Amino acid sequence: MKRRSFLKSTLVASATGVAVGVGILSPNIASAAAKLNEAKSVDDVLKMLGATGAEASDKIKIKAPEIAENGAVVPVGITSEIEGTTEIISITAANPTPYSAKFTFGEGAVPAVKSRFKMGKTTDVIAVVKAGDKYYTAKTNVKVTKGGCGG
Amino acid sequence: MAKSSIKLRTKNKDGSVQVKALIKHPMETGLRKDKKTGKKIPAHFITNVTVSANGKNLLNAEWTGSVSKNPFVSFNYAGKSGDKVKLEWKDNTGKSDSLETTVK
Repeated sequence: MKRRSFLKSTLVASATGVAVGVGILSPNIASAAAKLNEAKSVDDVLKMLGATGAEASDKIKIKAPEIAENGAVVPVGITSEIEGTTEIISITAANPTPYSAKFTFGEGAVPAVKSRFKMGKTTDVIAVVKAGDKYYTAKTNVKVTKGGCGG
Repeated sequence: MAKSSIKLRTKNKDGSVQVKALIKHPMETGLRKDKKTGKKIPAHFITNVTVSANGKNLLNAEWTGSVSKNPFVSFNYAGKSGDKVKLEWKDNTGKSDSLETTVK
């Protein structure tokens, strides 16, 4: 068992090392992502992103169910109509680690993404959009009913 | 080779290519407990997903344990038939997989 975990950890370490070495992940970015994973509150996440003063925008459309019967799989679609959108960040406010996902768009890609997230309980879904150097935000509420009885 | 963990579909509609992907992955947060033993199930989730077309980066996603099990992702890009769309993922234990498909 020891040998196994040892091998695993060295493998991970070397993989990360290689990534850093090749410049895929600069050390800074890598550690920032690790911290975001550990952030416990929405404020912390926004602070780490540098998006504390994000402006509320109605050009960000969040498509999520009002009531989700199964919190383990909640389909969420986020569309940004803000020009020059490069990043869409999804935050699930009530989760133990609110920072859910970050999508960075390359040239030619439409800044709209659909995915599925886990939600532990009824929560706000916050979308943070980066366009140029500015951050914009929008949120919606998803009611999660447990037990599948419809509330 | 074992069956790929990725299902990748593309659809070209008047120059807008829709990319849909399903990845088979447990996406453990590391917070859940095993009901029988009471021990925590170790975290095991995808951290990075990249999608490129003809070698050009389209989408770069950073994921956490808040993304559902067997994650799904879909988006559009301005492309054409014949584009080679490639998806790669990497998880926190160092595992990875990739799949390439051609836009019809």
